[in-house]
Amino acid sequence: MTRNTEAVFVLAGTLLASVGVAMVQFASGGWLDADVALTFISFALAFGSLHVSFRLWAPNANPLLLPIATFLAAIGSVEVFRLDPELAALQRWWLVIAGVAGAAIVWLLRSSGVAVLRRYRYLFLAAAMVLLLLPLLPGTWPIHGATVNGSRLWVRIDLPFAVRAPSFQPGEVAKVFLTVFLASYLADRSEAMSTISRKVGPFRIPEPRHLGPVIVAAGVAFVVLVYQRDLGASLLLFGLFIGMLYAATGRSFYLGTGLVITGAAGVAAYTLFSHVRVRISAWIDPFADYTGAGYQTVQGLFAMGSGSLTGSGLGLGRPDLIPAAATDFMFAAVAEELGLAGSIAVITGYAFLTTVGFGIALRSRDRFRKYMAAGLTILLGLQSFLIIAGIVRLLPLTGITLPFMSYGGSSLLASALIAALLGRVSHEERT
Amino acid sequence: MNAPVRRIVWALLAGFLALVLATTWIQVVAAPEYRDDPRNPRLSAWRVGRERGAIITDDAVVAGRSDPSPVDSQTFTRVYPTADRYAHTAGYVSVLFGSRGLERTREQDLVSHRDSTISGVLNAVLGGDPRPRGIRLTFDDALQQAAVDALDGSRGSIIALDPATGAVLASVSTPGFDPNSLVGSNAGPAGKSLEEDPDLPLLHRTIATTYPPGSTFKIVTTAAALETGIAGPSTEFPDPEALELPGSSATIHNYDDAVCADGRSITLAEAFIRSCNTTFGALGMQVGGDALTATAEAFGFNQEIPYDLPVLASTMPAAVDFADDPAATAQNALGQRDVRATPIQMALVAAAVANDGNIMIPFVVGDVFTHDGKIESTTEPTLWRRAISPATAAVLSDLMEQAVLSGTGHNAAVPGVRVAGKTGTAEVTGSAPYVWFVGFAPVDPVPGERRIALAIVLEDGGPAGETASGGSVAAPIAARMFETYLK
Repeated sequence: MTRNTEAVFVLAGTLLASVGVAMVQFASGGWLDADVALTFISFALAFGSLHVSFRLWAPNANPLLLPIATFLAAIGSVEVFRLDPELAALQRWWLVIAGVAGAAIVWLLRSSGVAVLRRYRYLFLAAAMVLLLLPLLPGTWPIHGATVNGSRLWVRIDLPFAVRAPSFQPGEVAKVFLTVFLASYLADRSEAMSTISRKVGPFRIPEPRHLGPVIVAAGVAFVVLVYQRDLGASLLLFGLFIGMLYAATGRSFYLGTGLVITGAAGVAAYTLFSHVRVRISAWIDPFADYTGAGYQTVQGLFAMGSGSLTGSGLGLGRPDLIPAAATDFMFAAVAEELGLAGSIAVITGYAFLTTVGFGIALRSRDRFRKYMAAGLTILLGLQSFLIIAGIVRLLPLTGITLPFMSYGGSSLLASALIAALLGRVSHEERT
Repeated sequence: MNAPVRRIVWALLAGFLALVLATTWIQVVAAPEYRDDPRNPRLSAWRVGRERGAIITDDAVVAGRSDPSPVDSQTFTRVYPTADRYAHTAGYVSVLFGSRGLERTREQDLVSHRDSTISGVLNAVLGGDPRPRGIRLTFDDALQQAAVDALDGSRGSIIALDPATGAVLASVSTPGFDPNSLVGSNAGPAGKSLEEDPDLPLLHRTIATTYPPGSTFKIVTTAAALETGIAGPSTEFPDPEALELPGSSATIHNYDDAVCADGRSITLAEAFIRSCNTTFGALGMQVGGDALTATAEAFGFNQEIPYDLPVLASTMPAAVDFADDPAATAQNALGQRDVRATPIQMALVAAAVANDGNIMIPFVVGDVFTHDGKIESTTEPTLWRRAISPATAAVLSDLMEQAVLSGTGHNAAVPGVRVAGKTGTAEVTGSAPYVWFVGFAPVDPVPGERRIALAIVLEDGGPAGETASGGSVAAPIAARMFETYLK
């Protein structure tokens, strides 16, 4: 595959989004209007800029990344349009901003390469920590945290001239920064961390000072869980830390410790916090509290069951009956209208993207690039796995977005950054 | 150093495979179960969003209509302009709470048949009008409003009907609710708080709950005595302060724990007018369980009353269960112990007396009209049952008129109108008495004159609480109802 093939597929994804929007309009008895053209333009701008940036500044980048991302984003934004045309108008802006931001990253790294990021690792760590803690700012400050659906993940900026305070979820970008930091940290330390010298009873453990990162990881995840009441972000961050430690050291000790800590933290959270208990009981039997804690899960199951094999057709189902359909429950909404065919296409898309991402990591010769590619791919794969698993009840429900598909500026921005960084890493491996 | 990354790849791919399997399970194996689950809002959402016909009263007040959505002409919002006034009878259609009332039972008339179901297509091919039809209720809006005002702040029910046709003129159950709250954007919490309200605002008390009828049941006991010939209006009974019940330590007292007349003897007519418990206890034991149950069933007890909405059967125990127990027989004859009646049942008792002993099938949907406003069908008054003979009805009518002229029901009197009725004050353990009035007006109407029979019940004594009686609380409400409808 070449850049030209990539262009053809990106164009195909752009057309898919526009035709999807047109189908939704037909289904609701309307006629074509500006939305179709605006969808085409926003996709062409967003993924066109990424494509052009690859062409100019990362010509050897993996050509599979953008077609898969365009395909997922197309299905997602058609469904967002079907759920709420006003949200879709905002989503188009977010898409363009995210695409241009991704292209800008590729441009910034054009001559120095991703290696430059390695030098600024503590800047990234500090930025990630600040971003993660921003939602805890008190409500009276001009920039302050906001609690949405029981989780304190949002930051609002009160501007005197803006009617609606702009808001964003800093955690989405923070996790990308954290990945860069971890990749850089582990690139320097992985040798030392993988020597396991001490013996305690039958167990071999590393030097205690090398346990520091694991403890930090558990700490950050737990703080996020306790203060922001966000099970999803907490699991995702912890999974990222443990996954990268394991990838860097190859020591199953870290994996084992991670699982033990996850188990212990899970038990502790279950005993200490009622919102965790509610989540767990809604997972085991969502029908038991049908009107309360289990409502969203049950609505998701009803939507997916009603969609069955081939789905109701775009615009012909009722995914609007699912709470948070455009964000957390995007998968259930797509499953209702596109059926099992659509759900499997989406899951396959993420599996494909994950494989491509890890392929980039495997081919990387430099430790930093390898760990960064692996970390970013773990982010994408784990995040899509966690939210879909929550919807289909493999795991307790975690309120996180589906990368590239869900409505949300922060989520799209983070996804585009990941695509840009992965593209740049893959380019550097082939030059 | 690639081995751990490869293991992570395999682990994540295994996870995605698990997702595919779980999704396949949900969307293929379990799909029919989820799709057809009665809690799946898709079915009712589809039903709710379609255009439905109007529900109007006899005097053309709109109780329910469908407004097209401003953004999408294909979907409609159900609006109930009269809010709580017709809430129980007209009902509602809600995505979250399903449908109730006429919105449910008359769905076939009210919904549009413009769809792609087999019957919809057949109907279109055969040239039928696919547009929804409307229904006109027999309600009189002024009377309904008077009933709502009269019960304001109390738990209870009023039902009024035309005894000659069975057309229901007013039907109120309080506390009420606003059906619009179950349709709007805040339907979830609104419906939940209605469902959890201890005063049960969603309960349609008129037809869906039974109360001890108390002294209003003396109409039935008197009818049993008259039909069997055991006693007549002038039959004399002893007039004790309390009636000893054989085989039991219980006694029956009168309302004010005194004798009813002079302490020696009292006629059945006087006892009826003063609602004398000792006399009716004795009469009940003379009449016996067989005749009591047979007469109650002739009035419709122990049967589902045919109506446009499902009605809970009123209950009179089978004779074998109490006829051998004089104490139980005496207490049942007073409308206490095991006798339970819905308000609509007691209104039909009054209607039978007013209509020469005949009970018409009660109905509330008068006409079904097409989208163009043409009447498509009209409900024909139909006889349900002959409860008592015309002669018995005439005697009872006279006794009930006397009860209003000079007895316990005097507060129901309306100047210039011959009102007949019977009060009831039912003892209920653990609460203030439930107070009743059942009656009708006018007695012996001239042909073509409007007639109304009604039953009124207030739980816990209504606004008067412990000191309430049927005569002091329910009878004045009856007077207002008669006045509103007849003047």
